[in-house]
Amino acid sequence: MRRTRAMLTVAAVMAAAALLLAACSSSPSTPSASGTAKGTTVPTGGTPQTGGTATWAELPGTAPNFIFPFDPPGLFSVSNISQFQYLMYRPLYWFGQGTTPDLNLSLSVGKNPVYSSDSKTITIDLNNYVWSNGETVTAQDVVFWMNMMHAEKNSFGAYVPGINAIPDDVTNVVATSPTEVTFTLSGAVNTNWYTYNNLSQVTPMPKAWDITAKGAAAGSGGCFSGAYGTAATDAACTKVFDFLATSAGYDPSNPKAANNSFSTYATNPIWQVVDGPWHLTSFDATGNITMAPNPTYTGPVKPKLTKFIEAPFTDEPTEYNALLGGKLQVGYLPLANVTKATPNPNVVAAQDPRLSGFYLNEYYGWEFAYFPVNLNSAGNGGAAGKIISQLYFRQAMQTLVDQPAIISKVFKGYGAPEYGPVPVLPVTNFLSSGEKTNPYPYSLSNAEKLLSSHGWKINAGGTDTCTDPGTGANQCGAGIPKGTPLTFNLQFATGITTQTEAVNDEISSWEAAGIHINETTSTFDTVIGNATACTPGPSCTWEFEDWAGSWVYSPDIYPTGEELFATGAVANYGSYSNPQADNFIKQTDFTNASLANYENLMAKDVPVIYLPDQVQSLTETQNNLRGVVPQNPLSTITPENWYFVK
Amino acid sequence: MIAFLIRRIIQAVIVVLLVLLGLFLLTHVIPGGAARAALGPRATKAQIRQFNVTNNYYKGIFVQFYLYLKTLVWHHNLGYSYKMNQDVTTVIAQRLPKTLVLVGISTVLALIIAVPLGILQVVRRNKPIDHILTGLTFVGYGMPSFLLGTLLILYFAIDIHIFSVEAPQGQTVGAILGDPRGLVLPEFTLAAITIASFSRYMRSSMMEAMTEDYVRTARAKGASPRRVLFRHALRNAIIPIVTLLGLSIPAIVSGAVITETVFNFPGMGLLTYEAATNTDVPLLLGTALVATLATVIGSLLADILYAIVDPRIRYAK
Repeated sequence: MRRTRAMLTVAAVMAAAALLLAACSSSPSTPSASGTAKGTTVPTGGTPQTGGTATWAELPGTAPNFIFPFDPPGLFSVSNISQFQYLMYRPLYWFGQGTTPDLNLSLSVGKNPVYSSDSKTITIDLNNYVWSNGETVTAQDVVFWMNMMHAEKNSFGAYVPGINAIPDDVTNVVATSPTEVTFTLSGAVNTNWYTYNNLSQVTPMPKAWDITAKGAAAGSGGCFSGAYGTAATDAACTKVFDFLATSAGYDPSNPKAANNSFSTYATNPIWQVVDGPWHLTSFDATGNITMAPNPTYTGPVKPKLTKFIEAPFTDEPTEYNALLGGKLQVGYLPLANVTKATPNPNVVAAQDPRLSGFYLNEYYGWEFAYFPVNLNSAGNGGAAGKIISQLYFRQAMQTLVDQPAIISKVFKGYGAPEYGPVPVLPVTNFLSSGEKTNPYPYSLSNAEKLLSSHGWKINAGGTDTCTDPGTGANQCGAGIPKGTPLTFNLQFATGITTQTEAVNDEISSWEAAGIHINETTSTFDTVIGNATACTPGPSCTWEFEDWAGSWVYSPDIYPTGEELFATGAVANYGSYSNPQADNFIKQTDFTNASLANYENLMAKDVPVIYLPDQVQSLTETQNNLRGVVPQNPLSTITPENWYFVK
Repeated sequence: MIAFLIRRIIQAVIVVLLVLLGLFLLTHVIPGGAARAALGPRATKAQIRQFNVTNNYYKGIFVQFYLYLKTLVWHHNLGYSYKMNQDVTTVIAQRLPKTLVLVGISTVLALIIAVPLGILQVVRRNKPIDHILTGLTFVGYGMPSFLLGTLLILYFAIDIHIFSVEAPQGQTVGAILGDPRGLVLPEFTLAAITIASFSRYMRSSMMEAMTEDYVRTARAKGASPRRVLFRHALRNAIIPIVTLLGLSIPAIVSGAVITETVFNFPGMGLLTYEAATNTDVPLLLGTALVATLATVIGSLLADILYAIVDPRIRYAK
């Protein structure tokens, strides 16, 4: 009786709330009855103004938490690097040209790297940048970073062992003049790969940071001017790294040590030596960040704003409320609040009528969505990995991912299909012909044909079974006994509604063809934690792990596969191994071969299941703020380009 | 009383240890492990191995628990949150005062409003005002805080711009109290639901007290209605509210996840939620320890207050 009454009360409250919501949404600020089109085009014109404050919304759960631009694993993140450190400490090379991830020399500290004919020597001249303490950014500052990288490569989040990349392939780095640094490599490299994936990681560091104690003399640490690769320099650099990392809150030797370094980020003289357009004026642990222009900045675009603020949010609705409430100048429209689907992912269809003071801009990151499948899995009585290892099966799985339907229904049109490891959006020259069209367009009948022609009895809506075991071309495949059911465990991460809807759509398609899925849900961390490469054995049981995320090409911007699909690669969680792929990957890293062969093979060989990529952000910008678009596809923000107009 | 206190404190320590051990065991059977969660998708096997060695994850579970307790007791250190790049003690020290202010104020507010409301309902029992207040408290009781908070933001912050869309963002208690525009809506959201609950307790407790023999005796002896109400009935009727207050302490300390989320207020509630969803083991243990301590201290306080306000209770015996 009580329960019924309580439920009725809730129902009454919900009804009242719905009425109130309706009343609220028809506020006087509604600009037009149709509520479409307004605010969807990028405004131009106006008289530029100097000054003003722009507040930018951080994505939920991504508050920056590390200031030292030598980020350890776990702290190596877009929010730390591209949206925080780069504003103060400029990388040697800047990537992002319009909406492409291309090298942007006009914003780089280094001039175009010059490779010797055998590509074993790289000469880099520097543009004129100065540190805020008055010193010039010199070639030795680059050597300083390289010395630290040599000593502390395992403490750097982007270091990948075993692929003969920076610093393993660097035999020497010397400052041949104050403005010229020369790298000597142990072997030939693909120059694009090296610039985009190796030199991209370098951030010159000031001599003032070469210390091992507070107040010590600049350069006293011995890492700045030490000879590259020597034991003495490595030992000195380790001490300097320990000091700097600890000053930034991370104690590498004692992670349990107490620290409250966040409170000193804006006041510690170390972090106030900057060569970027901004310096930090306040920082707190929850992600409230304020920056002011660096008056000594010598880069091409000087800040016009007086203050730049980054504001944290607990979730998307909170950010949306802040946007509606006028707290933000640059924020984002949650996909759930999109009022009208778009027929073209590159054109926004409509603006929320209550946001008439903002314009909307779609933003696609340099990433592709996928989930790994475990080719070594001992699940399904030991047959799971054997089935997944069969190309026809992976083709069938991929054929059943209805990417256009997911994009239009779930992502409201704001998404791009993915046919291989190179993103379709943003549009770049990296995309090969083999990835421009879908090699496995959605087709239930084609998928069923692939399975039935390889010895499986189709039981649509139920579970297919292997009726013709064996290794012949028309049989199930090695290690798959007769009667094996086509059933798999899929664990996926919840938390993003659209991604959950997309997974449900995929599961329904697979089950329609008789591929039975036992779905379980967990957190992002648990799912990604489970997706670990394992050798065949009783403990290697995971089959499909979908963490609802993407592979982001940053700081390895050149979309090669040495980290993803090469045999034994660090992120080759499913243990995919194909000698031809290994060969193509090597060619893209160490010869000047194009990416096309690798890309085309990866599209056809389906080492993972490719998923449609949803728009990374629908950015809302106040109508009188210019310079926010085009947006950098590597999520780098450049508020020095922003200015208000009258 | 002292013997009772000693007994209760020993019980409390055992409870805290058992809760910690239980949570420790649970967090260590999470599939996937903490290393990958902390180090990210590009973490190498060597880095994962190093992480596990540094954090003693290779040692036996009870050895790990012993080391955890040792660090906690001797160094007052709750460990390091890789996700936040902060030691857990510092994070909690930053969040706890904020939550204490937010939830503490709303609880006091609720008490100040709910007690007179409950009394009024008893005085005007079965009159229109009683029915109206009963209806309103049911609405408040049944209203989800996310809905109430969102509606308040939509109207008062976005439409008519009287209050701020979010709670105060300052890092200190002073900064939070210095932004009353930001405090009104979250405090009202939290208080509305607590008022509903407290006033219902108060009403039924007062009703019960008014039927007791001592009230009838007081009336027979010619005590004025006001005296009967406040001197005789209220003193007894308030006892369950005292217990309720003591039991509210865990909520005051642990925070209110939903309200904190809606109002963009990074307090203890949100911290616990983030720790759980991020598999941030040290942080999860730290927040759980705080919540457990608050629970045992809260119930201990409730018992002590109970003894103070009710002279019939003699724990010393």
